[in-house]
Amino acid sequence: MILKYELSKENLALCELKAEEEIYYCLPLDIDLEGNYRHDSYTVMTNKRVLVLEEGRLTRQFGIEECDEIRSEPQIACGIVYVVQGEKQLLLGRFTAKHLTRYSYLFRGMQILKRGRTERVISNEYEHSCPKCGRALPGTRECPHCLGKKEGLFSIFLEMLKPHKKRLAVILLLMLSATFVTLANPAIQKYLVDDVLLRDNKEYGLAFLCLFGMFIMSAGIVFINAAKSYLCSKLGSYIGEDQRKKLFDKIQQLSLSFITDRSPGELMNRIVRDTARIKDFFADVFCNLFTIVILFVCVCIYMLVLNWRLALLAFVFAPFSVVLSIAWKKNIRKRFHLQGIKSDKMNNNLQDVISGMAVVKSYGQEYREAEHFDDTADEFAKIQKGNEVFFAVFYPVLSFLLGVGIYLVTYYGGKGVLLGSMTPGELLQFVNYTSLLYSYVNWMSGMPRAFMNLVTSLERIGDVLSQEPSIVSLPDAVEHEIEGEIEFKNASFGYKSYQPVLENVNLTVHKGEMIGLVGASGTGKSTMINLIMHLYEVDDGEILVDGIDIRKIRLENYHSQIGVVLQENFLFAGSILNNIKFAKPDASYEEVIGVAKMANAHDFICKLPDGYNTYVGEHGYNLSGGERQRIAIARAMLNNPRLLILDEATASLDTESEYLIQKAIGRLTKGRTTFAIAHRLSTLKDADRLVVIDGHRIAEVGTHEELLARKGIYYGLVQAQLKVRL
Amino acid sequence: MNEDFALSQMEQETDQMLRIRYINNENAEFTRTGTGFLSLKIEDEFYPRVQVVRMFPFMHKDEFLSVRTPDERSKEIGIIEKLSDMAPETVAMLQEQLTLRYFTPTITKIFGIKDEYGYAYWDVMTNYGACRFTIQMGGNAVVHLSDTRILIIDIDENRFEIPDIMALSNSERKKLDLFL
Repeated sequence: MILKYELSKENLALCELKAEEEIYYCLPLDIDLEGNYRHDSYTVMTNKRVLVLEEGRLTRQFGIEECDEIRSEPQIACGIVYVVQGEKQLLLGRFTAKHLTRYSYLFRGMQILKRGRTERVISNEYEHSCPKCGRALPGTRECPHCLGKKEGLFSIFLEMLKPHKKRLAVILLLMLSATFVTLANPAIQKYLVDDVLLRDNKEYGLAFLCLFGMFIMSAGIVFINAAKSYLCSKLGSYIGEDQRKKLFDKIQQLSLSFITDRSPGELMNRIVRDTARIKDFFADVFCNLFTIVILFVCVCIYMLVLNWRLALLAFVFAPFSVVLSIAWKKNIRKRFHLQGIKSDKMNNNLQDVISGMAVVKSYGQEYREAEHFDDTADEFAKIQKGNEVFFAVFYPVLSFLLGVGIYLVTYYGGKGVLLGSMTPGELLQFVNYTSLLYSYVNWMSGMPRAFMNLVTSLERIGDVLSQEPSIVSLPDAVEHEIEGEIEFKNASFGYKSYQPVLENVNLTVHKGEMIGLVGASGTGKSTMINLIMHLYEVDDGEILVDGIDIRKIRLENYHSQIGVVLQENFLFAGSILNNIKFAKPDASYEEVIGVAKMANAHDFICKLPDGYNTYVGEHGYNLSGGERQRIAIARAMLNNPRLLILDEATASLDTESEYLIQKAIGRLTKGRTTFAIAHRLSTLKDADRLVVIDGHRIAEVGTHEELLARKGIYYGLVQAQLKVRL
Repeated sequence: MNEDFALSQMEQETDQMLRIRYINNENAEFTRTGTGFLSLKIEDEFYPRVQVVRMFPFMHKDEFLSVRTPDERSKEIGIIEKLSDMAPETVAMLQEQLTLRYFTPTITKIFGIKDEYGYAYWDVMTNYGACRFTIQMGGNAVVHLSDTRILIIDIDENRFEIPDIMALSNSERKKLDLFL
């Protein structure tokens, strides 16, 4: 991310840089105090001073030694930057949300300069939009457009087709034969009418031959089209499947922040809906595309050759029917779009109320919810009714209007026949070609939309496939067997880097130690755990595992050695057996029973009617909280993890479950380095050391007894809990 | 002895959190710090810098303002029920702080919206000047505050508001079709 914007010559001159003074950071102040946009105002920090440039004037300057700190504060969709001098805070200026992250680095920048050092702070975060062309960057460092990847889409499309060359060849062959047959049929009809029926030769034989020919053609076209459709659909399905696999793999690889930033529905849509659109494109559009284009050209030529005056007449009306059908389609799309929105609204309402039925009932709001649903249902019904009426009335009208060209051709052609300038056979052929022409034109008018859909889906898929996972195994990452010595060194982190959740954390944990993390809600305990699990990476400082930087250990290798028991114990849809075996699918039954017994889960599982085969539905619905947690403990144990992460449930369970779980956790943590977010007094007492987190930092470290004696924050927390429980 | 003291202090604090203290012209005096912020003297407490926060930013811009300390804890000092009840000078000072905190330009004209590769590029005129921004399609970038009022959040988390879609011209509304 850019921390030093380039200043114009005039602005540079305003700075009046002294000897040995250079600009370290330069960030825009793109709104004034009232909020009006500005384009030529900056906060400039040199190694000696802080300057404020506003629209061509130097309005403030401070020596670095005059200030204690420079701080940026995020506001609502904007931010302010001010200088701290002792007790006073001096406001320098305002900026939009675009620069929030940038400004957050100034604090450290100034601290470094104040200590007399000369390092520049660098930000490794990605820009959200390309500084050159302004296009949004989809989580990549470089702008795909500026790198010339514009043809990307077409090459993606070709990539998709590559593995299916043989199939494509067959399809192409079928297309050509379809073309031939379609053109031949009207020609035979003409011959039949002119040269056989209208002559009085009674050449029955020839007539039958023609009829037979027509029959073959018609049957042939049916078979050819069927084969073509079949092959194209199959092709589409294969391609769809390829893309689905690729997408799913990619999403698994990407880091947690990518998934948590988006709704699961959106990701599912990419994998399911967008790939379906690609499949549909092949099945519906692609298979007819070439046929129709070739036919269109051939038909036009034929018509011009047969009777160019009549042909021109037919051509003139073609645009008319195109315009009609386009306007028609646009209208339909708008109607369906609106209907879709209302239907979504109604469904969301329904889902909401049904999921929360317990709440609705306990507050006695059934009547009000019923009324609200009535309203949304009414809205939907109204739109739907309108749409149906529209279709019922206007479809016939449209069909009639679309045929106008043909009526005219028939009229003038007919006149020609009566006058003798055309034979009936030719007229028949001509009218056939005209209907074909109009149907092709109609079909082609739907092409832009189909292409747009395809392109959009390709873009959306390409978007995900081009994301770079932000947490990857570095190229020199090694496999390492975890011993259990963990160290935090000056670690700082924030989910949004300008709002740190942990600041300058230093902690050394020895092998086999059980560390209890304590602190008020939201102080960063879960965050610390996320960092230890390497699901997120520190913004500053480092985390060492057995003396090795956590980033230098291969991710999969690291993760396979960690056991996790969280607050919300997510059990996948499947049997209890499969859930326990999740991390180690090839475990023996003996192993599974062993861990289930250690987790005090074996007994309740045996009591279930289906035992270990019991299906635990979405979120393991059929089990109680305590039972789910014990299964999660068994799951964690099966892998014999070197490092254990425990996030205790805050809800207290019945005493029997509590005791059982307590014992189970005790067995689990024995001899393993454990990080536990502890709520139960018993867990706290068992911990080797307790770490109290307060105000984004570690406030106190020590054993339970030591901290109580200190009578500090921990003491207060324990007192409160005791008071509440009594 | 020590234990009881710590406990009673915690109880006192939690009781204080429950209290709704209304700030008015009689009990409070706001002063500009001269450095861009606002200080407050209320009853016998003095705060060198306070933050003014809207409790209902979409429904009541100038009512129910929470006056708070600006640090991490951000404790509430008091509530101003109606901004207009305060003295005119004070109203001006509070408005300055509110303007400093909230930035949501109102879109007055839409020049054009281009969509490409899953992002939409808007070119608009707002009450704070002309502006271009990018939003992600297919996410929650456009929020319906009511049937005719929308909030738009761009990829940098800037916010923009269209208070009444119906007040836009037909062609502008057509451009919005994709997002409604």
